[in-house]
Amino acid sequence: MHELSLAQNLLDQLLQLSKQHDAKIVTKATVIIGPFSGIVVESFAFGFNAIKQDHPPTATADLILETPAPEYICLDCNTINTGDAGTTNEHPKAVYETINDKLCSACGSSRLSPSGGTELILKQLEME
Amino acid sequence: MCDVCGCQLHDHHHSDSKIVEVNQSLLEANQKQAASNKTHIEKMGAIAINLISSPGSGKTTLLERTIDELGDSVKIGVIEGDIETERDADRIRAKGVPAVQLTTGGACHLDAPMVHGGLHVLEHFGKGKGFDIIFIENVGNLVCPATFDLGEHHRAILLSVPEGSDKPVKYPTTFKGADLFMITKTDLLQHFDFDIEEAKSEALKIQPDLDILCFSSTTGEGFDQWITYLKNLLSA
Repeated sequence: MHELSLAQNLLDQLLQLSKQHDAKIVTKATVIIGPFSGIVVESFAFGFNAIKQDHPPTATADLILETPAPEYICLDCNTINTGDAGTTNEHPKAVYETINDKLCSACGSSRLSPSGGTELILKQLEME
Repeated sequence: MCDVCGCQLHDHHHSDSKIVEVNQSLLEANQKQAASNKTHIEKMGAIAINLISSPGSGKTTLLERTIDELGDSVKIGVIEGDIETERDADRIRAKGVPAVQLTTGGACHLDAPMVHGGLHVLEHFGKGKGFDIIFIENVGNLVCPATFDLGEHHRAILLSVPEGSDKPVKYPTTFKGADLFMITKTDLLQHFDFDIEEAKSEALKIQPDLDILCFSSTTGEGFDQWITYLKNLLSA
């Protein structure tokens, strides 16, 4: 449910940046959502697409979501192991639980822990 | 070929289109306010603990017993987050401790700007006596509060025995951001199929540095470890 308030943050940013750059409309916004951010990608997109229509500069903005692959650090040798990436606009499922089936690629340890991946970043903006 | 840039792609135009690299966190506004809250809390002479859990896991009862156990030795302040009512703040005030009620009116979490407002009111209620610990009791929700830093020094997750020991696996994001995992209502262990070792080991897989405490606010079993934990935080 907090996805809507985060989508509102994105909308505020887009309106502010389009004004700052004297642009009439935002055509595309690229956002990175980390796999351990606790943000549901589909809900975030749904929320944004619902509220963007309230403002002429964002009404037709395309939202591009990048979902980086989850990374797991080995607690024994500190190697970063990369998990499976999700498809476009969707995170891989069960990014935490899949740890149980994985072993460190370097030392074979089963002691892997989620690393980073909590980001929500406005990466790039296209305006006209 | 495109006349403007010489590239082979024909599906783009150069009218007034501009691309801006932003690379800014959408949580930045909240993070900035959280950093300022932290400074504010430290100026008040205190540390803050953000309590996150499902509704009914025993956050307010924990605070009531903590106030009783610590007595006058530690100056406590409480910021309560709920969707509606002053009920939790009233329970804390009944113990003679300053409490501010934040009602979100529907929002599923507290954010840093709300807590900023709460800190100012708490200072006013404190009548210049100062604070050692400020507890921020988040809105009962094991999901959304995890995303929002409030400026706390420590984040504690409560899980009560009736909720089940599978919750760390089911709500991992919340456990990933925590410093302390508190298993509450241990007096009910005999009535529920709660596997303490499962809860502990799953939580530690997600967050290896997690401190874990088990206790009952009703019987007081294990409560002295929590009090010692708090005193260690204060003397650190």
